[in-house]
This record gives sequence, structure tokens and C-alpha cells, in this order.
Amino acid sequence: MIKQTLFGMVVAMAPMLAAAHSKSETTTPADGATVTEVPELSMRFDDPMRIISVTLSSPDGDVEIERETGMDPAKEFLAMPMEELAPGSYRFDWRGMASDGHPMQGSFSFTVAK
Amino acid sequence: MTGLAPIDGVVVLAIFAKALGYGAALLTMGGVLFTVLFAKRAEESVLRLARHLAVGAALVGLAVLALRFGIRAARISGMGFEGATDPMMLGFVWESPLGTAAIWRGVGELAILAILLPRVGKWIALAGSLAVAISFAQVGHSLGELRAPLAVLLVLHLLAVAFWVGALLPLRKAALTTTGADLLHHFGNVASYGVGVLIIAGAALAWLLSGSVAALFGTAYGLVLLVKIVIVSTLLGIAALNKLILVPALRAEKRGAAIALRRSISIEMLAVVLILLATATLTSVTTPPINL
Repeated sequence: MIKQTLFGMVVAMAPMLAAAHSKSETTTPADGATVTEVPELSMRFDDPMRIISVTLSSPDGDVEIERETGMDPAKEFLAMPMEELAPGSYRFDWRGMASDGHPMQGSFSFTVAK
Repeated sequence: MTGLAPIDGVVVLAIFAKALGYGAALLTMGGVLFTVLFAKRAEESVLRLARHLAVGAALVGLAVLALRFGIRAARISGMGFEGATDPMMLGFVWESPLGTAAIWRGVGELAILAILLPRVGKWIALAGSLAVAISFAQVGHSLGELRAPLAVLLVLHLLAVAFWVGALLPLRKAALTTTGADLLHHFGNVASYGVGVLIIAGAALAWLLSGSVAALFGTAYGLVLLVKIVIVSTLLGIAALNKLILVPALRAEKRGAAIALRRSISIEMLAVVLILLATATLTSVTTPPINL
């Protein structure tokens, strides 16, 4: 009973999202931006971050991207779309580990206009 | 709400595993401390329980350690539970501070098994307890020059908590033995100092990590910390009740005193479980204000 209640409390907290550690991160394209072309996808961190998995998704499904940055910890992450992005909305999701060992995740969204 | 990381199913599992790992570590360290500190005052049956508690908790701790590696690998991989056995992901976890902590924790918990050996075994186990406490200082946020004082405070805080938590089950048993009242009275006196260390070290840690009182109310870390403090205060109230009323009643051989005391200790154990869950949540999904 106690376990269920606590589980419920934790799940209820889920919508209150805020990305710990990644507060000062800047991205290209910027989160929420509307752009005409996306030559690259990049993120910048204060501390080296080991980015492990990345996905770029659109309403039509996942979009293939090529990583420039490997899985070693880095302050800057760079990837490129394999093909020119069609107009529409996109969301970039990443997971990884901070230098202090904490599992990290984050995302940013942008829109490609004609 | 600032400083709260996204929470999903794997994170909930990670929190429960962490709480279980905390519980196992505290019980195993505490079982050893009890065995060493009360070797002369406690009856053999009570000491045997403390030793078995230390060994059982050390074994559970080792299993949880392996489980947490898998959970951490799954969390960073983005592959879900498949990532738990991925050698590359496990390698990343091993290279992280969790790997260093796992060595201290694992070696410490193995050393604690030596408590089953006669004579010198007790001292090997005591060194093991210290290693387990030190393991907790290996993980956490990058805190720069604050690292050393934080580590010392954390180790002291944990040893004091372990002394208390590990003594609960043996004391609950001792309440039924003939020498139990004296042991409980003696424990109350020693624990007064232990609680002092626990509170001072805990408050200093909270102060160093929060930076300000305002941060307690505006951040996820502060709110979970406040929940933890409320439960700890309740626990301290129960402990005071035991020391000032229930243990004297047991010494005076009042009727029902042993039952009341045993029930009270059971409630303390429940409070400890809640505190461990709050602490696991605090250290899993929130960021100390000083890092924001």
C-alpha cells in the first residue's frame, strides 16, 4: 500500500519537467525556433557530457542523422541530417551520462519552414 | 519546479533499487557496529541476530549493486531494459564514479562477511563498514573544492545513521531478553551522541548543498529534503519516547512495557523505510540548488 502510494507520488511528479545539469545548454537550432534549413544539429554543455543515444523524430517517424561526435565525453555535440529536412516539426531527443555519473536526458524541438 | 529530472518507469525502478541498496548498506554497517559496540552487554542470541543481519544485508547489498549497474546502463542507453546487459553501456557505467563507488561498496560488503569469523573477523568487518560508508562519498555531483568536507560529513552522517538503523532489529529482540532493559538504556545513552552527529552532519550537508533557505522552498531538491526532515523529526520523536518513557518502563518491569517498546521500534523501522525512499528520490531525480 505504502509502495503504491509512493509510486503514485513519483509518477504524479513526472509532468513537472526540468532538465537538471543541462540548464545552460544551448542548441542549434534553438529550442522552439523556426528555421528554413538545418545544416547541423548541435548542443553545447558546461561540463563534458557522454551522449549515448540520439533520435530526431518528426510526426512521420524517425529521421536518420549522422553523428560527428562519438560517444566520448565532450562539451559540444554535433550531428547532421542525412538528407535535407522537409518542412514540418521536429524533435531531437538525447540520453547520456554526465561526468559525475548521473544519467542525463534532454530534448529540443524546432520547426522547418518552406 | 526547478531541478527535477524527467521521471519514467526505469527511473522509478532505479529509485527503489537505490533505496534497497541504502537499506542494505545501513543494515550491514549497523549490524557490524552493534556487534562491536555491544559485544559485552548484549546476550549471545541478540549478537547472533546482529551478525546475521550484517551478513544478510551485505549479500543483499552485493546483489543490488549488480542490479543498479544494469539499471544505470539501461537509463543511459536509451534502449530501455535491453541496455541493462549491453557490454558497452556497462563499460561506460564502470568508468563513471559509480564504478569507483562499486569497488569500495563491493569490497566493503565482502569484508563484512568476515564477521562470521572468530576474533579478528570483527575488525575486518569494521574496516569493511568504513569502506561501505566511504563508497557513498565517491558518487554525487561535481562539487569542486567542497568535495573533501562533504565527503567527511557524509561518511559521519552515514555511520551515525547506520549505528541507529542497524540496532533496531537486535534491540527489538533484546526487549524480550533478561538483560534487555540495561542494553536498551545503554543504547539510549550512546545513541544520544549518535543522533547529535547525525543531525549536525546532516544539517551541514543540507546547508552546503542548498546554499540558502529560499532554495529549500523553490526547488525539487529542497522540497524532497523537507519531506525527509519531517519524517526524520517524527522518528526522533519516537526515539525520544522510547528513551524517556518506554525503556524506563521496561527497566521498572511494568506490564506490557516490552510489547509497547517492540511496537514502537517497529514503527521506527517503517519511518526508516520512508526516509530511505525519500533519500533515494532526492539523490536520483533532483539537483542540489548549488548545482543549478
